[in-house]
Amino acid sequence: MEAKRFVYSLTGKLILTISALMVIGSIILGYLMYRNREAELIEHSVDSGISFTEQIKKSTRFGMLHYDVNLIQRTVEDIGSSKGVNKINIFDAKGKIAYSSRKEEIGTVLSLDSYVCSPCHAGVSKPKTTQSWSISMDKEGYRVLNIIQPIHNEPACYSAACHAHPKDQLVLGLMEADLSLAYLDKGIRQQGLVFIAYIVSFFLIISIVFYIILWKFVHTPMSILSKGMKRVASGDLESTVRIDTKDEMGELANAFNAMTADLSKAKKELVEWGNTLEKKVGEKTEEIKKAHAQFIHSAKLASLGRMAAGVAHEINSPLTGIVTFGHLLLKRFPEGSQEKEDIEVVIEQANRCSSIIKGLLSFARATMVDKGPVNVNDVLKSSLNMVSRKVDFFNITIDQMLDESLPSVKADASQLQQVFLNMILNAADAMDGKGTLTVSTRKVSEDGRTFAEVDFTDTGHGISQENMAKLFEPFFTTKPVGKGTGLGLAVSRGIVQEHGGKIFVKSKVGEGTSFFVRLPLYEG
Amino acid sequence: MSKGKILVIDDEDIVLKSCHRALTPEGYDVKTAKSGVEGLKMLENEPFNVALIDVKMPDMDGMEVLKKIKERWPDVAVIIITGYSAIATAVSSIKLGAFDYIEKPFTPDGILSVIKKALGQ
Repeated sequence: MEAKRFVYSLTGKLILTISALMVIGSIILGYLMYRNREAELIEHSVDSGISFTEQIKKSTRFGMLHYDVNLIQRTVEDIGSSKGVNKINIFDAKGKIAYSSRKEEIGTVLSLDSYVCSPCHAGVSKPKTTQSWSISMDKEGYRVLNIIQPIHNEPACYSAACHAHPKDQLVLGLMEADLSLAYLDKGIRQQGLVFIAYIVSFFLIISIVFYIILWKFVHTPMSILSKGMKRVASGDLESTVRIDTKDEMGELANAFNAMTADLSKAKKELVEWGNTLEKKVGEKTEEIKKAHAQFIHSAKLASLGRMAAGVAHEINSPLTGIVTFGHLLLKRFPEGSQEKEDIEVVIEQANRCSSIIKGLLSFARATMVDKGPVNVNDVLKSSLNMVSRKVDFFNITIDQMLDESLPSVKADASQLQQVFLNMILNAADAMDGKGTLTVSTRKVSEDGRTFAEVDFTDTGHGISQENMAKLFEPFFTTKPVGKGTGLGLAVSRGIVQEHGGKIFVKSKVGEGTSFFVRLPLYEG
Repeated sequence: MSKGKILVIDDEDIVLKSCHRALTPEGYDVKTAKSGVEGLKMLENEPFNVALIDVKMPDMDGMEVLKKIKERWPDVAVIIITGYSAIATAVSSIKLGAFDYIEKPFTPDGILSVIKKALGQ
């Protein structure tokens, strides 16, 4: 498994490729060197062999000239027994071995096509007179150099005392020497082994050096980068890789770090964006929920309005009867009588029923809007007059700071009064009937438009942050059950918005509350 | 001698009864009708000085009756009775020729003063 991984790794591939190239190169180089060296050695051996045979010729010359057969045989045997000499044969002109280092071969006659004769005699009637050589193998696998040297006729031969040879004979015989090349073969083999050893160690050293270099400069940074990439892939965008070299790997690491930094930044932005989106979606959902709730409340309000209108009509007729007959009865009893007082209670309660119906109707805004120029100060004053005599306001100081130069607003006076009364009554409730209500009017500008602003500031207990949000929602009330309908501010806001104005509130718990009503001025 | 002939048109018995009881002792000749159709029929048969008409009735509403009366008997002073304060209704009724309007629930004195005004008394 490890080996397979090594082969597939960059380092492995490089080392294997370089090793293969080195091995092939070494084999070719080694072979060429071997061949060259062998050729050189053989040439040298041949030269030595030839001079060796020359030497034999010279050594046997005396014996030849004196035809001393024993001396010649003796010399041939002596020389033939030296190391590296396999055999020495001297042939006569007829191809018969006349002398030999191997006595048993003496007398053997060789034909013309034998290896000894053929070099000169093959297909030629007149033999060449030059020496020749050949190489063959011995039984032990070593090469043997076979040198054949012609023995030329010379004056000393044909003028010798024995007169054995005629003068015109060119070649008197042949000398054959088999010289062993075992020492050469052994040397070459040894040299080959040494060469292989050199190559192997060279290969090993180169491989190790390469491996170290590749490990340090390629494999290590690569695995650092690869680990870094894995970390990034698994989502850790904060991770950086540290490669301090100034080479391509270092540049790659720097580029990688820059990339992860960018990615991390982008991811952060994305996450942030996602969060804001989530928040925005949440806000929108909340808004939609509120709008939906408001719609339901509005629908409730509308059906309440329809019901109130119907009820009002139905109830007002019997009330007319009660009031009319009450009044008629009233006339029958003298002033101050118990009966008169009782009937007055009946009429009063009938009138109260009527005002409840009216109130219900106006909260449901069933009354038609009739807008015209309205003096806000006048409406405020009459509203304050209406309430100032009420018991609830006995302990409340009302400060009026009205801007008398305030222009008219376009409004329905009765609806405006409804809004103002609502504000004033709420203030009284907030102060539990004790404190100061400051009512002021002023002209304000917003977004290039001019408004009349009415500000109702009380010294009551204020509105909590929690309630602030729900303040204008229909049916929201903090008043005790039966006292508030939760419609006052909702209806007020509806009216003000219908008038193109706005209503807003500022409050501090324990210090008091200010309600602001802004209405657009009347134009023409 | 009657102070004036008054026709009250309303689908509610109690309103008719109230008007009758409030105005008769004061010297007015009060006739009542339970619907616009009935009221118009009565107008055809005898003259009236004032017509008190409820604005909301099942078969023909008060405004319709007002229009018809003003078309045929322009001299009859029409007073519209509204079930609740509706300025718009009041304004449009005046535009259609009504003399005045009165809100339910009204008092005997209230209706008396409107009738007196209508008759110029």
